[in-house]
Amino acid sequence: MNAIFNAVAWFLGLGPTVIVPVVLILLGLIFKVGLAKAIRGGVTTGIGLAGLFLIVDLIVGALTPAVAALAERLGVAKAIVDVGWADAGLAWSWPGVAGLVLAIIGVNIVMVLLKLTKTLWTDVWSYWHGSAMAAFVWAATGGNVILGILAGLIYLVAGGLMGDWTAKKYQEFNDMPGISVPCGTTVQASIFAMPVVWVLDRIPGLKDWDASPEGVKKAFGLVGEPAILGLILGAVIGLAAGYDVAGILILGMQVATMMVILPRMVSLIAEGIVPITMSVVQFMRERFKDREIYVAVDCAVLLGHPAVMASSVILFPLLVLVAGFLPGVQMIPIASLAVIPFWAGAVVPYTKGNVIKTVIVILLYSIPFMYLGTLFVGSQTEAYSMMGQFQEQIAAGVQLGSWDMGGDILGSAIRAVMGIFSGGVW
Amino acid sequence: MSRLIVVACGAGINTSTIAEDSIKERMVKEGMADVDVKRILMADIDGFLSRSDLVLVVSMMKIFREFDVPVIQGMPFLIGTQAEKDILLDKIVDILKAE
Repeated sequence: MNAIFNAVAWFLGLGPTVIVPVVLILLGLIFKVGLAKAIRGGVTTGIGLAGLFLIVDLIVGALTPAVAALAERLGVAKAIVDVGWADAGLAWSWPGVAGLVLAIIGVNIVMVLLKLTKTLWTDVWSYWHGSAMAAFVWAATGGNVILGILAGLIYLVAGGLMGDWTAKKYQEFNDMPGISVPCGTTVQASIFAMPVVWVLDRIPGLKDWDASPEGVKKAFGLVGEPAILGLILGAVIGLAAGYDVAGILILGMQVATMMVILPRMVSLIAEGIVPITMSVVQFMRERFKDREIYVAVDCAVLLGHPAVMASSVILFPLLVLVAGFLPGVQMIPIASLAVIPFWAGAVVPYTKGNVIKTVIVILLYSIPFMYLGTLFVGSQTEAYSMMGQFQEQIAAGVQLGSWDMGGDILGSAIRAVMGIFSGGVW
Repeated sequence: MSRLIVVACGAGINTSTIAEDSIKERMVKEGMADVDVKRILMADIDGFLSRSDLVLVVSMMKIFREFDVPVIQGMPFLIGTQAEKDILLDKIVDILKAE
């Protein structure tokens, strides 16, 4: 018995870049993707994770002193470093991820059979939203994997139901019959948009106010490119922090590097999961051939409308300013801005492509993220610490936050309820 | 000269990878070694449209504009059965052969 314990402890001590490939290869074999594909996928995801943590390490190291200096000069408390989609790395590496993946597939099949949902949760990649949230709960409860999985499961089931609710609208607007998009913070943006757009449509003057997507793109175009946006943000933070010219230029390039490389690393993580996704799609489609079902797809399919990028380029600087000046908000969004186009994609079907209304809806939607991301940053930072990431910085008092998933509205609610039952520390 | 297929999606993270995988696999089977499959962000597409080797755009979402090259809607790669995927792949092979 002791030998088994020791073996498990040894394995878990190897860290995510070893554990995750092994877990994914096993999952691949369970879903019959074939040994070669399973190995290639597992290793690719491991590489993506290693790369992701490298780049986050770089940016935490670069931004921590800058944010501290900025906070001191301006007398504002902005102590949290934005790690954005590093949460996806966390999601695929915390100890309960395999259990959660199998659990949501099982629960979803039962729910479809009982006609409780129409959404087939086939988009394995998007499980990461629930899995990241599960990792936060796992960390907050001092390492309770079961509670983590349970929390993740509730989140993903709720996401599926919201996917049902929004599916028709997405299908019509994007001309994609048979899909639904149950992804985390994206589908919540649609739900949020419904009442807000209803109100906006009843405000005289605002009702028909719009901006042409092409015009906005021409005016703000460069800001829409992650590299340039990162360069500007980094340079502005350096300037505000009182850096000299050299420091400003270096920080600008470091943030630009992160804005470009971080999504590439997330993409590598996703690439390794693709074979499992394909296999799950086949498996589920074959079992539910004759039913009216929606097949879950990634929120990236919502980004086609020109108003999406037009709204995003207006929102990028706007959200940085709002987060910078709102009292009590401790994180200036940088990496987290990458989620904005996805939110815009979810809102645009409800605003019928109106740029101004889309901007207003997302501005309002992001404010709870700013506060919740600050409020719940403790367990998020703890999750990274428990995974053995960024331990030096965390020991030095750095806190790691994000909007997607750290500030997630539904996720925070589940974390709060779980906290009451477990007595966890948030 | 090699020919280029771009697979465009919103973020270049997940959906385009799935389509790229399927198309590459088929190109190997067809022995079309001159075909390069590249996944890109839809936001970057303008840089590719001017390339003379571009023969096809596979889009993972609805695009609200027109291109000079053929466009194929790649959603079945994400959610289709094998049969639906094969129909789409046949169409891609036909376009390449008609070149």
